[in-house]
Amino acid sequence: MIRLVGAELLKLRTTRTFWALAGSAVGLVLVIVVLTLAIDDQLNTQRDVRDLLSVAGLSGLLTLVLGVVVGAGEYRHGTIASTLLVTPNRLRAVAAQVIACFLGGLAIASAAVALELIIGLPWLSSKDVLMPSAGDLAGDLLGGILYAGLAAALGTALGALLRNQVAAVVSILVLIFVLEPTLNALVGGVAPFTLTGLGAAMSGASGDDNSDLLSPGVAALIWACYASLLAVFAAIRTAHRDI
Amino acid sequence: MLEVQDLTKRFGANVAVDGLSFKATPGRVLGFLGPNGAGKTTTLRTLLGLTLPTSGSATVDGRPYRELEDPVRVVGAVLEGPQFHPGRTGRNHLRVLAAAGGLPASRVDEMLRLVELNGAGNRRVKGYSLGMRQRLSLAGALLGDPRALVLDEPANGLDPQGIRWLREFLRAQASEGRTVLVSSHVLAEMAQTVDEVLVISRGRLVAQGTLDELTHGVEAPIWVRSPEAERLRAALAAREGVDAKPPETGGGWLEVRGATLEDVGTTAAENGIPVFELYRPRQSLEQVFLELTAGTEAGR
Repeated sequence: MIRLVGAELLKLRTTRTFWALAGSAVGLVLVIVVLTLAIDDQLNTQRDVRDLLSVAGLSGLLTLVLGVVVGAGEYRHGTIASTLLVTPNRLRAVAAQVIACFLGGLAIASAAVALELIIGLPWLSSKDVLMPSAGDLAGDLLGGILYAGLAAALGTALGALLRNQVAAVVSILVLIFVLEPTLNALVGGVAPFTLTGLGAAMSGASGDDNSDLLSPGVAALIWACYASLLAVFAAIRTAHRDI
Repeated sequence: MLEVQDLTKRFGANVAVDGLSFKATPGRVLGFLGPNGAGKTTTLRTLLGLTLPTSGSATVDGRPYRELEDPVRVVGAVLEGPQFHPGRTGRNHLRVLAAAGGLPASRVDEMLRLVELNGAGNRRVKGYSLGMRQRLSLAGALLGDPRALVLDEPANGLDPQGIRWLREFLRAQASEGRTVLVSSHVLAEMAQTVDEVLVISRGRLVAQGTLDELTHGVEAPIWVRSPEAERLRAALAAREGVDAKPPETGGGWLEVRGATLEDVGTTAAENGIPVFELYRPRQSLEQVFLELTAGTEAGR
Protein backbone atom coordinates (compact mmCIF):
# COMPACT_ATOMS: atom_id res chain seq x y z
CA MET A 1 0.00 0.00 0.00
CA ILE A 2 2.89 2.37 0.75
CA ARG A 3 4.11 1.80 -2.80
CA LEU A 4 0.71 2.64 -4.24
CA VAL A 5 0.32 5.75 -2.11
CA GLY A 6 3.79 6.83 -3.25
CA ALA A 7 2.74 6.40 -6.87
CA GLU A 8 -0.43 8.39 -6.27
CA LEU A 9 1.56 11.17 -4.62
CA LEU A 10 3.83 11.20 -7.65
CA LYS A 11 0.72 11.53 -9.83
CA LEU A 12 -0.35 14.53 -7.78
CA ARG A 13 3.04 16.19 -7.96
CA THR A 14 3.39 15.74 -11.70
CA THR A 15 0.29 17.66 -12.77
CA ARG A 16 -0.30 21.41 -12.79
CA THR A 17 -3.73 21.00 -11.17
CA PHE A 18 -2.20 20.16 -7.82
CA TRP A 19 0.23 23.05 -7.88
CA ALA A 20 -2.41 25.48 -9.12
CA LEU A 21 -4.84 24.55 -6.35
CA ALA A 22 -2.07 24.51 -3.76
CA GLY A 23 -0.95 27.95 -4.90
CA SER A 24 -4.53 29.20 -4.82
CA ALA A 25 -5.07 27.90 -1.30
CA VAL A 26 -1.87 29.41 0.04
CA GLY A 27 -2.44 32.64 -1.87
CA LEU A 28 -6.00 32.98 -0.59
CA VAL A 29 -4.91 32.55 3.00
CA LEU A 30 -2.05 34.98 2.50
CA VAL A 31 -4.30 37.66 1.00
CA ILE A 32 -6.85 37.39 3.80
CA VAL A 33 -4.22 37.55 6.55
CA VAL A 34 -2.35 40.46 5.00
CA LEU A 35 -5.49 42.46 4.22
CA THR A 36 -6.96 41.85 7.66
CA LEU A 37 -3.76 42.88 9.41
CA ALA A 38 -3.36 45.92 7.21
CA ILE A 39 -6.95 47.19 7.34
CA ASP A 40 -8.74 45.84 10.38
CA ASP A 41 -8.31 48.12 13.41
CA GLN A 42 -10.69 46.05 15.54
CA LEU A 43 -8.23 43.20 15.94
CA ASN A 44 -7.80 43.19 19.69
CA THR A 45 -8.93 40.08 21.50
CA GLN A 46 -7.56 36.55 21.61
CA ARG A 47 -10.71 35.46 19.79
CA ASP A 48 -9.96 37.92 16.97
CA VAL A 49 -6.48 36.53 16.56
CA ARG A 50 -7.69 32.93 16.58
CA ASP A 51 -10.31 33.74 13.97
CA LEU A 52 -7.73 35.43 11.81
CA LEU A 53 -5.19 32.62 11.96
CA SER A 54 -7.82 29.95 11.48
CA VAL A 55 -8.37 31.19 7.92
CA ALA A 56 -5.86 28.52 6.90
CA GLY A 57 -8.88 26.26 7.28
CA LEU A 58 -10.25 27.92 4.16
CA SER A 59 -7.79 25.84 2.19
CA GLY A 60 -10.08 22.93 3.07
CA LEU A 61 -12.57 24.06 0.46
CA LEU A 62 -9.88 24.07 -2.21
CA THR A 63 -8.46 20.72 -1.15
CA LEU A 64 -12.00 19.35 -1.30
CA VAL A 65 -12.16 20.49 -4.92
CA LEU A 66 -8.66 19.12 -5.51
CA GLY A 67 -9.79 15.71 -4.30
CA VAL A 68 -12.86 15.75 -6.53
CA VAL A 69 -10.78 16.76 -9.55
CA VAL A 70 -8.21 14.05 -8.87
CA GLY A 71 -10.74 11.28 -8.17
CA ALA A 72 -12.91 12.02 -11.20
CA GLY A 73 -9.92 13.04 -13.33
CA GLU A 74 -8.81 9.41 -13.57
CA TYR A 75 -11.95 8.76 -15.59
CA ARG A 76 -11.84 12.00 -17.53
CA HIS A 77 -8.35 11.34 -18.83
CA GLY A 78 -8.66 7.55 -19.05
CA THR A 79 -5.74 7.03 -16.68
CA ILE A 80 -7.96 4.76 -14.58
CA ALA A 81 -7.22 1.95 -17.05
CA SER A 82 -3.46 2.25 -16.50
CA THR A 83 -4.03 2.48 -12.76
CA LEU A 84 -6.12 -0.69 -12.66
CA LEU A 85 -3.78 -2.60 -14.94
CA VAL A 86 -1.03 -2.07 -12.38
CA THR A 87 -3.34 -2.38 -9.38
CA PRO A 88 -6.22 -4.69 -10.32
CA ASN A 89 -7.51 -4.71 -6.74
CA ARG A 90 -9.86 -1.78 -7.03
CA LEU A 91 -10.33 -1.31 -3.30
CA ARG A 92 -6.59 -0.84 -2.92
CA ALA A 93 -6.48 1.47 -5.92
CA VAL A 94 -9.20 3.75 -4.54
CA ALA A 95 -7.78 3.61 -1.01
CA ALA A 96 -4.31 4.60 -2.23
CA GLN A 97 -5.73 7.56 -4.09
CA VAL A 98 -7.78 8.72 -1.10
CA ILE A 99 -4.79 8.44 1.24
CA ALA A 100 -2.52 10.27 -1.19
CA CYS A 101 -4.99 13.13 -1.53
CA PHE A 102 -5.35 13.24 2.26
CA LEU A 103 -1.58 13.68 2.51
CA GLY A 104 -1.64 16.23 -0.30
CA GLY A 105 -4.34 18.19 1.53
CA LEU A 106 -2.29 18.12 4.72
CA ALA A 107 0.73 19.41 2.82
CA ILE A 108 -1.19 22.28 1.22
CA ALA A 109 -2.73 23.40 4.50
CA SER A 110 0.61 23.05 6.29
CA ALA A 111 2.17 25.38 3.75
CA ALA A 112 -0.69 27.87 4.22
CA VAL A 113 -0.35 27.73 8.00
CA ALA A 114 3.41 28.10 7.88
CA LEU A 115 3.12 31.14 5.65
CA GLU A 116 0.46 32.84 7.75
CA LEU A 117 2.52 32.29 10.88
CA ILE A 118 5.67 33.62 9.27
CA ILE A 119 3.84 36.75 8.14
CA GLY A 120 1.14 37.06 10.79
CA LEU A 121 2.94 36.51 14.09
CA PRO A 122 5.51 39.30 13.78
CA TRP A 123 2.82 41.62 12.45
CA LEU A 124 0.47 40.79 15.31
CA SER A 125 3.27 41.34 17.81
CA SER A 126 3.88 44.77 16.40
CA LYS A 127 0.16 45.61 16.80
CA ASP A 128 0.28 44.83 20.47
CA VAL A 129 -2.80 42.60 20.45
CA LEU A 130 -3.60 40.02 23.10
CA MET A 131 -2.31 36.71 21.77
CA PRO A 132 -4.14 33.43 22.49
CA SER A 133 -2.38 30.67 24.34
CA ALA A 134 0.00 28.48 22.35
CA GLY A 135 -2.25 25.50 23.08
CA ASP A 136 -5.37 27.16 21.66
CA LEU A 137 -3.48 28.39 18.63
CA ALA A 138 -1.87 25.02 17.96
CA GLY A 139 -5.26 23.30 18.29
CA ASP A 140 -6.84 25.63 15.75
CA LEU A 141 -3.99 25.35 13.28
CA LEU A 142 -3.60 21.58 13.52
CA GLY A 143 -7.36 21.22 13.26
CA GLY A 144 -7.32 23.35 10.11
CA ILE A 145 -4.56 21.22 8.60
CA LEU A 146 -6.42 18.02 9.44
CA TYR A 147 -9.61 19.49 7.96
CA ALA A 148 -7.83 20.22 4.67
CA GLY A 149 -6.50 16.66 4.50
CA LEU A 150 -9.84 15.07 5.30
CA ALA A 151 -11.59 17.37 2.84
CA ALA A 152 -9.25 16.23 0.08
CA ALA A 153 -9.89 12.59 1.03
CA LEU A 154 -13.65 13.04 0.94
CA GLY A 155 -13.43 14.88 -2.38
CA THR A 156 -11.37 12.09 -3.91
CA ALA A 157 -13.85 9.45 -2.84
CA LEU A 158 -16.72 11.50 -4.22
CA GLY A 159 -14.88 12.03 -7.51
CA ALA A 160 -14.17 8.31 -7.83
CA LEU A 161 -17.81 7.58 -7.10
CA LEU A 162 -19.33 10.08 -9.54
CA ARG A 163 -16.55 9.92 -12.18
CA ASN A 164 -17.67 13.09 -13.94
CA GLN A 165 -15.45 15.97 -12.85
CA VAL A 166 -17.91 18.75 -13.52
CA ALA A 167 -20.83 16.90 -11.96
CA ALA A 168 -18.74 16.05 -8.90
CA VAL A 169 -17.49 19.61 -8.37
CA VAL A 170 -20.97 21.06 -8.87
CA SER A 171 -22.45 18.45 -6.51
CA ILE A 172 -20.11 19.26 -3.67
CA LEU A 173 -20.53 23.02 -4.10
CA VAL A 174 -24.33 22.71 -4.21
CA LEU A 175 -24.18 20.55 -1.10
CA ILE A 176 -22.11 23.05 0.84
CA PHE A 177 -23.61 26.31 -0.36
CA VAL A 178 -27.25 25.35 -1.02
CA LEU A 179 -28.34 22.10 0.58
CA GLU A 180 -26.59 22.44 3.91
CA PRO A 181 -27.81 25.99 4.65
CA THR A 182 -31.32 24.93 3.61
CA LEU A 183 -31.14 21.87 5.81
CA ASN A 184 -29.86 23.94 8.72
CA ALA A 185 -32.78 26.31 8.32
CA LEU A 186 -35.35 23.55 8.19
CA VAL A 187 -34.01 21.01 10.67
CA GLY A 188 -32.70 21.98 14.07
CA GLY A 189 -29.58 20.35 15.47
CA VAL A 190 -28.25 19.13 12.14
CA ALA A 191 -25.75 21.95 11.59
CA PRO A 192 -22.87 20.44 13.62
CA PHE A 193 -22.99 17.31 11.48
CA THR A 194 -22.90 19.05 8.08
CA LEU A 195 -19.61 19.38 6.22
CA THR A 196 -19.62 23.10 6.96
CA GLY A 197 -20.22 22.51 10.65
CA LEU A 198 -17.59 19.81 10.90
CA GLY A 199 -15.06 21.91 9.01
CA ALA A 200 -15.68 24.89 11.28
CA ALA A 201 -15.33 22.69 14.34
CA MET A 202 -12.03 21.28 13.15
CA SER A 203 -10.46 24.55 12.08
CA GLY A 204 -11.86 26.67 14.90
CA ALA A 205 -13.09 29.12 12.26
CA SER A 206 -16.24 30.01 14.16
CA GLY A 207 -14.55 30.20 17.50
CA ASP A 208 -15.98 29.37 20.88
CA ASP A 209 -19.02 31.54 20.37
CA ASN A 210 -20.81 28.81 18.50
CA SER A 211 -21.53 26.32 21.22
CA ASP A 212 -23.38 24.03 18.77
CA LEU A 213 -20.15 22.90 17.16
CA LEU A 214 -18.73 19.53 18.03
CA SER A 215 -15.30 19.22 19.54
CA PRO A 216 -12.53 19.18 16.89
CA GLY A 217 -11.69 15.54 17.59
CA VAL A 218 -15.26 14.33 17.24
CA ALA A 219 -15.75 16.47 14.14
CA ALA A 220 -12.62 14.97 12.56
CA LEU A 221 -13.81 11.48 13.43
CA ILE A 222 -17.23 12.06 11.87
CA TRP A 223 -15.69 13.61 8.74
CA ALA A 224 -13.32 10.66 8.48
CA CYS A 225 -16.35 8.35 8.68
CA TYR A 226 -18.07 10.27 5.89
CA ALA A 227 -14.93 10.05 3.75
CA SER A 228 -14.43 6.35 4.52
CA LEU A 229 -18.04 5.53 3.68
CA LEU A 230 -17.78 7.37 0.38
CA ALA A 231 -14.48 5.65 -0.36
CA VAL A 232 -16.02 2.23 0.31
CA PHE A 233 -18.97 3.06 -1.95
CA ALA A 234 -16.56 4.28 -4.61
CA ALA A 235 -14.47 1.11 -4.35
CA ILE A 236 -17.54 -1.13 -4.54
CA ARG A 237 -18.90 0.78 -7.52
CA THR A 238 -15.50 0.69 -9.20
CA ALA A 239 -15.19 -3.04 -8.59
CA HIS A 240 -18.46 -3.70 -10.41
CA ARG A 241 -17.93 -1.20 -13.17
CA ASP A 242 -16.64 -1.79 -16.68
CA ILE A 243 -13.73 0.51 -17.41
CA MET B 1 -0.84 -18.46 -21.40
CA LEU B 2 -3.87 -16.31 -22.14
CA GLU B 3 -7.14 -18.19 -22.30
CA VAL B 4 -10.68 -17.15 -23.06
CA GLN B 5 -13.33 -19.77 -22.40
CA ASP B 6 -16.98 -19.47 -23.48
CA LEU B 7 -16.76 -15.74 -22.90
CA THR B 8 -19.96 -13.77 -23.26
CA LYS B 9 -20.31 -10.07 -22.58
CA ARG B 10 -23.56 -8.18 -22.87
CA PHE B 11 -24.06 -4.43 -22.63
CA GLY B 12 -27.79 -4.23 -22.02
CA ALA B 13 -29.47 -5.91 -24.97
CA ASN B 14 -26.32 -5.75 -27.07
CA VAL B 15 -24.19 -8.90 -27.13
CA ALA B 16 -20.61 -7.72 -27.64
CA VAL B 17 -18.94 -11.11 -27.22
CA ASP B 18 -20.84 -14.34 -27.72
CA GLY B 19 -19.39 -17.59 -26.40
CA LEU B 20 -15.87 -16.87 -27.55
CA SER B 21 -13.05 -19.32 -26.77
CA PHE B 22 -9.38 -19.26 -27.70
CA LYS B 23 -5.89 -19.64 -26.29
CA ALA B 24 -2.75 -17.63 -26.89
CA THR B 25 0.34 -19.68 -26.17
CA PRO B 26 3.92 -18.71 -25.30
CA GLY B 27 6.36 -18.14 -28.11
CA ARG B 28 3.71 -17.24 -30.67
CA VAL B 29 2.06 -14.09 -31.96
CA LEU B 30 -1.71 -14.48 -32.15
CA GLY B 31 -3.43 -11.93 -34.37
CA PHE B 32 -6.92 -10.91 -33.38
CA LEU B 33 -9.01 -9.70 -36.31
CA GLY B 34 -12.54 -8.55 -36.76
CA PRO B 35 -14.53 -5.66 -38.19
CA ASN B 36 -15.40 -2.60 -36.14
CA GLY B 37 -17.73 -3.57 -33.31
CA ALA B 38 -16.87 -7.27 -33.59
CA GLY B 39 -15.96 -7.46 -29.91
CA LYS B 40 -12.15 -7.41 -30.07
CA THR B 41 -11.61 -4.58 -27.64
CA THR B 42 -14.25 -5.90 -25.24
CA THR B 43 -12.55 -9.30 -25.28
CA LEU B 44 -9.12 -7.83 -24.61
CA ARG B 45 -10.41 -5.55 -21.85
CA THR B 46 -12.14 -8.51 -20.23
CA LEU B 47 -8.92 -10.48 -20.39
CA LEU B 48 -7.25 -7.55 -18.61
CA GLY B 49 -9.88 -7.40 -15.87
CA LEU B 50 -11.20 -3.99 -16.95
CA THR B 51 -14.52 -5.35 -18.13
CA LEU B 52 -16.49 -7.95 -16.23
CA PRO B 53 -17.66 -11.01 -18.20
CA THR B 54 -21.38 -11.73 -18.27
CA SER B 55 -20.49 -15.44 -18.38
CA GLY B 56 -17.47 -17.56 -19.16
CA SER B 57 -13.93 -16.69 -18.21
CA ALA B 58 -10.82 -14.90 -19.36
CA THR B 59 -7.64 -15.88 -17.59
CA VAL B 60 -3.92 -15.26 -17.52
CA ASP B 61 -1.88 -18.29 -16.52
CA GLY B 62 -5.11 -19.83 -15.27
CA ARG B 63 -6.15 -16.89 -13.07
CA PRO B 64 -8.37 -13.89 -13.68
CA TYR B 65 -6.27 -10.78 -14.20
CA ARG B 66 -7.72 -9.20 -11.07
CA GLU B 67 -6.21 -12.00 -8.99
CA LEU B 68 -2.67 -11.58 -10.29
CA GLU B 69 -0.33 -10.51 -7.52
CA ASP B 70 2.23 -8.77 -9.68
CA PRO B 71 0.42 -8.04 -12.94
CA VAL B 72 3.00 -5.70 -14.48
CA ARG B 73 5.48 -8.56 -14.59
CA VAL B 74 2.92 -10.94 -16.06
CA VAL B 75 1.04 -8.97 -18.73
CA GLY B 76 1.86 -5.75 -20.52
CA ALA B 77 -1.02 -4.06 -22.29
CA VAL B 78 -1.62 -1.39 -24.86
CA LEU B 79 -5.22 -0.25 -25.00
CA GLU B 80 -7.14 1.86 -27.46
CA GLY B 81 -8.36 5.26 -26.34
CA PRO B 82 -6.96 7.95 -24.06
CA GLN B 83 -4.93 6.77 -21.10
CA PHE B 84 -2.62 9.66 -20.32
CA HIS B 85 -3.00 12.82 -18.32
CA PRO B 86 -2.30 15.42 -21.01
CA GLY B 87 -0.40 17.66 -18.60
CA ARG B 88 1.97 14.95 -17.41
CA THR B 89 5.22 14.31 -19.23
CA GLY B 90 5.88 10.97 -20.87
CA ARG B 91 8.67 10.24 -18.42
CA ASN B 92 6.47 11.06 -15.43
CA HIS B 93 3.68 8.86 -16.80
CA LEU B 94 6.12 5.95 -16.83
CA ARG B 95 7.55 6.93 -13.43
CA VAL B 96 4.06 6.66 -11.95
CA LEU B 97 3.54 3.20 -13.46
CA ALA B 98 6.98 2.08 -12.31
CA ALA B 99 6.37 3.35 -8.79
CA ALA B 100 2.98 1.65 -8.56
CA GLY B 101 4.38 -1.59 -9.93
CA GLY B 102 7.42 -1.60 -7.65
CA LEU B 103 9.79 -1.38 -10.60
CA PRO B 104 13.16 0.37 -10.54
CA ALA B 105 13.11 3.92 -11.89
CA SER B 106 15.94 2.97 -14.25
CA ARG B 107 13.41 0.98 -16.30
CA VAL B 108 11.72 4.24 -17.28
CA ASP B 109 14.66 5.56 -19.25
CA GLU B 110 15.40 2.11 -20.65
CA MET B 111 11.89 1.90 -22.04
CA LEU B 112 11.95 5.46 -23.36
CA ARG B 113 15.12 4.58 -25.25
CA LEU B 114 13.62 1.32 -26.49
CA VAL B 115 10.61 3.07 -28.03
CA GLU B 116 12.83 5.93 -29.21
CA LEU B 117 11.10 8.55 -27.08
CA ASN B 118 14.09 9.44 -24.93
CA GLY B 119 14.30 12.85 -26.60
CA ALA B 120 10.65 13.59 -25.85
CA GLY B 121 10.38 12.12 -22.37
CA ASN B 122 10.25 15.50 -20.66
CA ARG B 123 7.54 16.88 -22.92
CA ARG B 124 3.91 16.90 -21.84
CA VAL B 125 1.84 14.18 -23.44
CA LYS B 126 -0.61 16.69 -24.90
CA GLY B 127 2.17 17.68 -27.29
CA TYR B 128 2.71 14.11 -28.49
CA SER B 129 1.57 12.85 -31.88
CA LEU B 130 -0.65 9.77 -32.04
CA GLY B 131 2.37 7.68 -32.95
CA MET B 132 4.34 9.00 -29.97
CA ARG B 133 1.43 8.16 -27.68
CA GLN B 134 1.38 4.64 -29.07
CA ARG B 135 5.10 4.32 -28.39
CA LEU B 136 4.56 5.61 -24.87
CA SER B 137 1.82 3.02 -24.39
CA LEU B 138 4.20 0.34 -25.56
CA ALA B 139 6.86 1.60 -23.17
CA GLY B 140 4.35 1.33 -20.34
CA ALA B 141 3.40 -2.18 -21.39
CA LEU B 142 7.03 -3.27 -21.37
CA LEU B 143 8.05 -1.65 -18.09
CA GLY B 144 7.67 -4.83 -16.06
CA ASP B 145 9.32 -7.05 -18.70
CA PRO B 146 6.10 -9.10 -18.77
CA ARG B 147 5.67 -12.68 -19.93
CA ALA B 148 2.71 -11.78 -22.14
CA LEU B 149 1.66 -8.81 -24.22
CA VAL B 150 -1.92 -7.84 -25.01
CA LEU B 151 -1.97 -5.11 -27.62
CA ASP B 152 -5.10 -3.47 -28.98
CA GLU B 153 -4.37 -1.78 -32.31
CA PRO B 154 -0.75 -0.99 -31.42
CA ALA B 155 0.07 0.08 -34.98
CA ASN B 156 -2.45 2.95 -34.89
CA GLY B 157 -0.69 6.19 -35.69
CA LEU B 158 2.71 4.61 -36.28
CA ASP B 159 4.57 5.67 -39.40
CA PRO B 160 5.97 2.98 -41.76
CA GLN B 161 9.25 2.87 -39.85
CA GLY B 162 7.33 2.54 -36.61
CA ILE B 163 5.20 -0.27 -37.98
CA ARG B 164 8.29 -2.09 -39.16
CA TRP B 165 9.88 -1.55 -35.77
CA LEU B 166 6.74 -2.91 -34.11
CA ARG B 167 6.70 -5.99 -36.34
CA GLU B 168 10.30 -6.83 -35.57
CA PHE B 169 9.72 -6.08 -31.92
CA LEU B 170 6.72 -8.41 -31.66
CA ARG B 171 8.56 -11.18 -33.48
CA ALA B 172 11.49 -10.74 -31.10
CA GLN B 173 9.18 -10.85 -28.09
CA ALA B 174 7.61 -14.09 -29.28
CA SER B 175 10.99 -15.62 -30.08
CA GLU B 176 11.99 -14.96 -26.48
CA GLY B 177 9.08 -17.11 -25.38
CA ARG B 178 6.52 -14.42 -24.62
CA THR B 179 2.86 -14.77 -25.43
CA VAL B 180 1.70 -12.02 -27.78
CA LEU B 181 -1.95 -11.29 -28.52
CA VAL B 182 -2.40 -8.39 -30.90
CA SER B 183 -5.43 -6.89 -32.58
CA SER B 184 -5.00 -4.75 -35.65
CA HIS B 185 -6.75 -3.42 -38.69
CA VAL B 186 -3.51 -3.29 -40.65
CA LEU B 187 -4.05 -6.68 -42.24
CA ALA B 188 -1.01 -6.64 -44.50
CA GLU B 189 1.10 -5.89 -41.44
CA MET B 190 -0.58 -8.64 -39.44
CA ALA B 191 0.15 -11.10 -42.23
CA GLN B 192 3.85 -10.40 -41.80
CA THR B 193 3.80 -10.52 -38.03
CA VAL B 194 1.53 -13.20 -36.68
CA ASP B 195 1.90 -16.96 -36.38
CA GLU B 196 -1.77 -17.59 -35.97
CA VAL B 197 -4.92 -15.62 -36.67
CA LEU B 198 -8.22 -15.44 -34.87
CA VAL B 199 -11.12 -13.84 -36.73
CA ILE B 200 -14.26 -12.79 -34.91
CA SER B 201 -17.43 -11.26 -36.19
CA ARG B 202 -20.45 -10.15 -34.17
CA GLY B 203 -18.68 -11.41 -31.08
CA ARG B 204 -18.29 -14.93 -32.41
CA LEU B 205 -15.27 -16.83 -33.59
CA VAL B 206 -15.48 -17.32 -37.36
CA ALA B 207 -12.01 -18.67 -38.07
CA GLN B 208 -8.81 -19.59 -36.29
CA GLY B 209 -5.63 -21.03 -37.66
CA THR B 210 -2.20 -20.35 -39.04
CA LEU B 211 -1.94 -17.95 -41.94
CA ASP B 212 -1.36 -20.89 -44.31
CA GLU B 213 -4.43 -22.67 -43.03
CA LEU B 214 -6.58 -19.59 -43.42
CA THR B 215 -5.31 -18.40 -46.76
CA HIS B 216 -5.69 -21.87 -48.27
CA GLY B 217 -8.92 -22.57 -46.51
CA VAL B 218 -10.93 -20.30 -48.73
CA GLU B 219 -11.11 -21.67 -52.26
CA ALA B 220 -9.61 -19.24 -54.74
CA PRO B 221 -10.35 -19.40 -58.49
CA ILE B 222 -7.78 -20.65 -60.98
CA TRP B 223 -6.62 -18.30 -63.67
CA VAL B 224 -5.63 -19.60 -67.08
CA ARG B 225 -4.59 -17.70 -70.23
CA SER B 226 -4.85 -19.23 -73.65
CA PRO B 227 -5.06 -17.96 -77.25
CA GLU B 228 -8.06 -20.28 -77.59
CA ALA B 229 -9.85 -19.20 -74.45
CA GLU B 230 -13.35 -19.82 -75.73
CA ARG B 231 -12.54 -23.42 -76.77
CA LEU B 232 -10.88 -24.04 -73.46
CA ARG B 233 -13.89 -22.56 -71.63
CA ALA B 234 -16.22 -24.95 -73.45
CA ALA B 235 -13.97 -27.93 -72.72
CA LEU B 236 -13.79 -27.04 -69.02
CA ALA B 237 -17.52 -26.35 -68.79
CA ALA B 238 -18.14 -29.87 -70.05
CA ARG B 239 -16.55 -31.22 -66.85
CA GLU B 240 -18.92 -31.76 -63.97
CA GLY B 241 -18.97 -29.02 -61.36
CA VAL B 242 -16.54 -26.79 -63.21
CA ASP B 243 -17.42 -23.18 -63.88
CA ALA B 244 -15.20 -21.26 -66.31
CA LYS B 245 -15.84 -17.76 -67.54
CA PRO B 246 -13.81 -14.95 -69.03
CA PRO B 247 -13.28 -11.85 -66.91
CA GLU B 248 -14.58 -8.49 -68.16
CA THR B 249 -11.07 -7.49 -69.05
CA GLY B 250 -10.78 -10.43 -71.49
CA GLY B 251 -7.21 -10.81 -72.71
CA GLY B 252 -7.56 -14.55 -73.23
CA TRP B 253 -7.99 -15.16 -69.53
CA LEU B 254 -10.47 -17.54 -67.92
CA GLU B 255 -11.51 -17.64 -64.25
CA VAL B 256 -12.11 -21.25 -63.31
CA ARG B 257 -13.87 -22.53 -60.21
CA GLY B 258 -14.55 -26.09 -59.11
CA ALA B 259 -11.39 -27.54 -60.65
CA THR B 260 -7.80 -28.23 -59.68
CA LEU B 261 -4.76 -26.97 -61.54
CA GLU B 262 -4.27 -30.54 -62.76
CA ASP B 263 -7.85 -30.65 -64.10
CA VAL B 264 -7.36 -27.49 -66.15
CA GLY B 265 -3.94 -28.54 -67.49
CA THR B 266 -5.13 -32.01 -68.42
CA THR B 267 -8.26 -30.68 -70.12
CA ALA B 268 -6.20 -28.26 -72.17
CA ALA B 269 -3.72 -31.00 -73.16
CA GLU B 270 -6.45 -33.48 -74.07
CA ASN B 271 -8.03 -30.89 -76.37
CA GLY B 272 -4.76 -29.67 -77.86
CA ILE B 273 -5.29 -26.17 -76.53
CA PRO B 274 -2.13 -24.17 -75.87
CA VAL B 275 -1.86 -22.60 -72.42
CA PHE B 276 0.41 -19.62 -71.73
CA GLU B 277 -0.30 -19.12 -68.04
CA LEU B 278 -1.98 -21.24 -65.39
CA TYR B 279 -2.04 -20.52 -61.66
CA ARG B 280 -4.16 -20.31 -58.53
CA PRO B 281 -3.38 -17.09 -56.66
CA ARG B 282 -2.88 -17.42 -52.95
CA GLN B 283 -5.56 -15.55 -51.01
CA SER B 284 -4.27 -12.58 -49.11
CA LEU B 285 -5.17 -12.24 -45.45
CA GLU B 286 -7.25 -9.25 -46.43
CA GLN B 287 -9.27 -11.29 -48.92
CA VAL B 288 -9.80 -14.04 -46.37
CA PHE B 289 -10.81 -11.49 -43.75
CA LEU B 290 -13.29 -9.79 -46.05
CA GLU B 291 -14.85 -13.10 -47.12
CA LEU B 292 -15.14 -14.34 -43.54
CA THR B 293 -16.66 -11.14 -42.24
CA ALA B 294 -18.65 -10.15 -45.33
CA GLY B 295 -21.68 -8.06 -44.48
CA THR B 296 -20.88 -7.80 -40.81
CA GLU B 297 -18.83 -4.60 -40.67
CA ALA B 298 -20.34 -2.15 -38.29
CA GLY B 299 -23.34 -4.35 -38.32
CA ARG B 300 -23.84 -4.68 -34.65
